[in-house]
Formats: sequence, C-alpha cells, structure tokens
Amino acid sequence: MKKIEKFYIISAITGIIILIFTVYPILNTFAWVKKDIMIETLKDPKVMNSIYFSIKCATYATIISFILAVPFSYFLARHEFKGKNMIESIVNIPMVMPHTVAGIALLTVLSKKSPIGKFFDSKGIEIVGTQIAVVIAMIFVSMPLMINSAKESFKWVPERLENVSRSLGVSHFRTFFTITFPLSWRDLLDGMILTWARSISEFGAIIILAYHPMIAPTLIYDRFSTYGIAYSIPVTIILIIISLILFIAVRLVSLGKRVDI
Amino acid sequence: MILIENLNVKLGDFTLKDINLNIRKGEFFAILGPTGTGKSVLLEAIAGVKPVKSGEIIIDGKNITKLKPEKRAISICYQDYCIFPHMTVRENINYGLRFRKDKENPKYKKNFDMLIRLLKIDHLLERYPQNLSGGEKQRISLARGLIVEPEVLLLDEPLSALDPNIKERIQHELKKIHDELKITTIMVTHDFQEAHFLADSVGIMDRGQIIQQGTLEDIFQNPKSKVVADFVGMKTIFKIEEKDLKTFNVDEPCYIGIRPERIKLSTKNMNSDYSLKGKIISMIDTGIYVEIRIKCDDKVYIVYVTMNYINDLNIRIGEEIFFGFNKNDVKKIIK
Repeated sequence: MKKIEKFYIISAITGIIILIFTVYPILNTFAWVKKDIMIETLKDPKVMNSIYFSIKCATYATIISFILAVPFSYFLARHEFKGKNMIESIVNIPMVMPHTVAGIALLTVLSKKSPIGKFFDSKGIEIVGTQIAVVIAMIFVSMPLMINSAKESFKWVPERLENVSRSLGVSHFRTFFTITFPLSWRDLLDGMILTWARSISEFGAIIILAYHPMIAPTLIYDRFSTYGIAYSIPVTIILIIISLILFIAVRLVSLGKRVDI
Repeated sequence: MILIENLNVKLGDFTLKDINLNIRKGEFFAILGPTGTGKSVLLEAIAGVKPVKSGEIIIDGKNITKLKPEKRAISICYQDYCIFPHMTVRENINYGLRFRKDKENPKYKKNFDMLIRLLKIDHLLERYPQNLSGGEKQRISLARGLIVEPEVLLLDEPLSALDPNIKERIQHELKKIHDELKITTIMVTHDFQEAHFLADSVGIMDRGQIIQQGTLEDIFQNPKSKVVADFVGMKTIFKIEEKDLKTFNVDEPCYIGIRPERIKLSTKNMNSDYSLKGKIISMIDTGIYVEIRIKCDDKVYIVYVTMNYINDLNIRIGEEIFFGFNKNDVKKIIK
C-alpha cells in the first residue's frame, strides 16, 4: 500500500480545520433565520436600500481605486529606485491600521474644521455623513489590495515583451494597452474583486465618517444593537447571498482560459 | 554607420564602462563575451530600453541617445523570442505595422511575403505561439523585427536556446537574410563559433567593457589580451621568460598563444619551425575532436586532432610524442 507522508496528513488536518472555521459560521447563520422576520426584512425598503447603497459605494470605490492604482502599480512593477520599499510600506499602512483609527484619521482631514473640509463646504459640497465619505473610507482601506494585486499582475508580464513592442515603433502608451493590459487583465480583475469585497465589508471606518446614509454592515450592527440577533440575521443573509453571487460571477470571468507567457 | 562613444550605463551594481564601438553600415557585428558581462544591457541601451548615464549613440550621423525606443528604428529580438502570446503568428509579425500611418503601403505586404518565404513559416500564420517550437518562435521573432524595415537589427543570443540541429538551420537563415537585406545587425553571443560563422567583425566584452574590436580574422589571429585569446579558442597560452625570448622570437617577456589546431603531431622528429618532444598527459574525446595535452619542459601544449589521426599514430597517454608548429602560428599577446 502506498504510504502517505506524515506532513501531508498534518496538512490535511489543518486544511479541514481552516475550512470548517470559515464555512461553519457562515452556514450556521442560515440556521438561525426565522421565516416571518426574513419575509418582513425582504419587504423592508430600508434593508434593500442599504444593500443597494453598499454595492453602489463599493463599486464606485473599486473603479476609483482601479483608475488611481493601475498607473502607479505599473510604475512600481517596472522600476527600482531608492525609497521604493518605503513607498510600498506607506501604501500598505491602511491594511495594518485598526479601521476605527482609519475613520478618525480621515475625519481629521474631511471634517468641516479641517482646511479640506472647509474648502468643500465653501463650495457647498458636504463630505462627512454622505455617500462621498462612505466611498472615501472604502477607497482608503481597500486601495492597498488593488495596488498590490495590480503590481503583481504587471510583474508577471515580462518587460521584454514591452521592449520588443516599443522597438517596433509602438509608443509606450499603446504598448501598455495592446500588450501589458491584455496579458494582465484577469489578474487585475482578481484585484478588483478583492478591492470590492474589502470595500463592501468595511464597517469601522465608515461608521465614524457616515453612520447615515446607512451601508448594509451599519444596518446589521444597528439592528443587532437595537433589536437583537434575530433581526440582524436576515440582513446578513441577504448581504452574504448577493455578495457571493457577484463574487462567483466575476471570478468565473477571471478564471477563463489563461495564456502562457 | 553606428558610432558608440564613451557610453556608460549604470544599473544597480552593474556598470557598462566607456563603451566605444564603430560599426559599418550593413555590417554583421557580434558582441562576444562570457555570460553576465553586460552584453545584453549594451544591446538594450542601444535599443533605448535601458537608460544611458553618459555617452552617445550615433546612427548615420544622427544622435539617437535621447530618442525614445519607438523613434529609433531599431528592432530587437531576444533569446526567449518574446512572441506576444495573445496574438496569432500573423498578428505577431504584423504588430509593428498596426499603428503606422503608412501601414497600407504595398512594400509591407512585399516584406511580409518575402520574410514568410525566407523563413518558411507560411504554414504557421494562423496559429497561436503556445505550441510552437523554439526554432519556429525565433523565425517569427525575426520576421516581426524585420518587416518594419529597421535601420539596425539587434539580436540578443538568438541561437543559444535552440537545440543544435535547429540552431544550425537558423544560423544559415540568419546569414541568408543578412546577405539579402543588408541590414546592419548587432548580435550578442557567448559562442565564438556563432560569431565566426555570422559576423564580419566583433567586439569582445568583459566585465562591462569592450576589450578588443576588430575583424574576425584580426581578433582570431592577434588577440590583445589573455581573456580574448582564451575566448577565441587559443588553448595554449604561456608566459615567455627572459631565457626563452630568442626561441620564440619576441623582444620582451610576454604571453604567447597557439591555436590547438595549428599544432601538428608526429611519431618522428618534425620539419617545422618549432619541433618539440613531450609526454601525453591526457586525451579527452569530445565526440568531434580529441583534445590532447602534452607536457614539454614546464609547459602544457593543447592540441586538437581527430580520432582517426590518433588511431593512425597509435599513441596512448603517458607516451612521448613529437609535436611542432610554425613561427606564424605563435601569437604574441600584449596584456
């Protein structure tokens, strides 16, 4: 009989623990649903609005992060320079910050007492307590994920392919759009999924900047602290299902046939 | 003509120091040197994809040092082919024409047909590159680089990733293409034989510097340093001391080198300018030739002969043998 390596047995055991640890709480949430409260929740416009609002803000945050991160990540992937490590560390700071701290840091910049907040207020643009604040908080916490994934995806495309393209008379810009981007878009899309998922799950920074208008996680917290677990679960389940459907759909696109380089 | 003057490139800890080259229009020029010596960096600096610290690159009187790579009309072909994996072979070859204003010019169609015929790749046009062989990919890379009619073609070790049969075929095709199109070509290689077969002249590179430039014959016959001598296959290199000056016809102590194929063997005393007797200390069969090491006084002479020749002479390791060479086979090495 074929002998199984001990190390693989340990790997299998830890793998099972991790899977149970991840999946069991999510599935168990479904077991706690009460049918009548679920129906009531589905009919509640406040719930559906908050979920729609969450999805909308996360999508805006992802698009803005993508637009900002792609050129910068490309630069990081293609250049070595003094201070690069420091810049990369700075970019990753939001990942290690407690989210409420991130919210407070943003508040010091965006509140009407700060120069930026004051400036926008003078132009009649309110930030704190609006959709803008929600999107800004989402971008702040999820941008590192977009930058890191984009950087890795560009690194995967050999620079020599771009060199060949440029040597054939094609500009840097066109080379990016005809060579680099078509070869890295699946990984960029993966990065966008991560950014979107991180944005939609943000709670700590957002409640500091904008308790209202309510995103779904705030509503869940609000229902939980006001009415208890039974009323927060239906919102949780709707959010899980919608997020999973979107997640799987985009993931299927990004997992399509890859080209070997 | 390509003129490279005092070119310096710095990439991290690696530097190219004061590179000076003079390459005639239409010439096939080889940059020869051991791996890791900066040959490819030099090629990329000429192509404009590596930044130059100082110095100038002048093509036909035009200073291109500060031009973007896409404005230089210099095509580069890499060792690993760099075929665009998301495009068919046809799209790959025509890629450089895609954004040109004159892409409809019939000359490009003519170039396409001519290159397809020369490189025999017409049956591959609609395929994607994933399952193509190394040789096929290198041909596509060449066609892609040549269709745009570059002023200079840069080849970065174009043959080193290919197996011997294919390598020989592509080598012949490269020669044919160069003979027909007469495009100034700079090839980087670590293989002297490749350079010998293809190039009109060569530059020998070592540790970021060009240490000798000249025609193949010149470098082959008169290497200026031990590194060059070693690189062009001069196997017997030794120092001439005061006492041997007269024997080897040199005025001062220096190194001399003798090519292994210039030394003849015999079982009898030989009628050549130098006739010596020594003991065979090793015989290594490389499959194509046999390398024999002969010890004479305190010097070791290396000789290449065929296996048939060894059988005719009927010699073995440990035996004594006569060997000889002529005066003009002994090359003085300056450094």
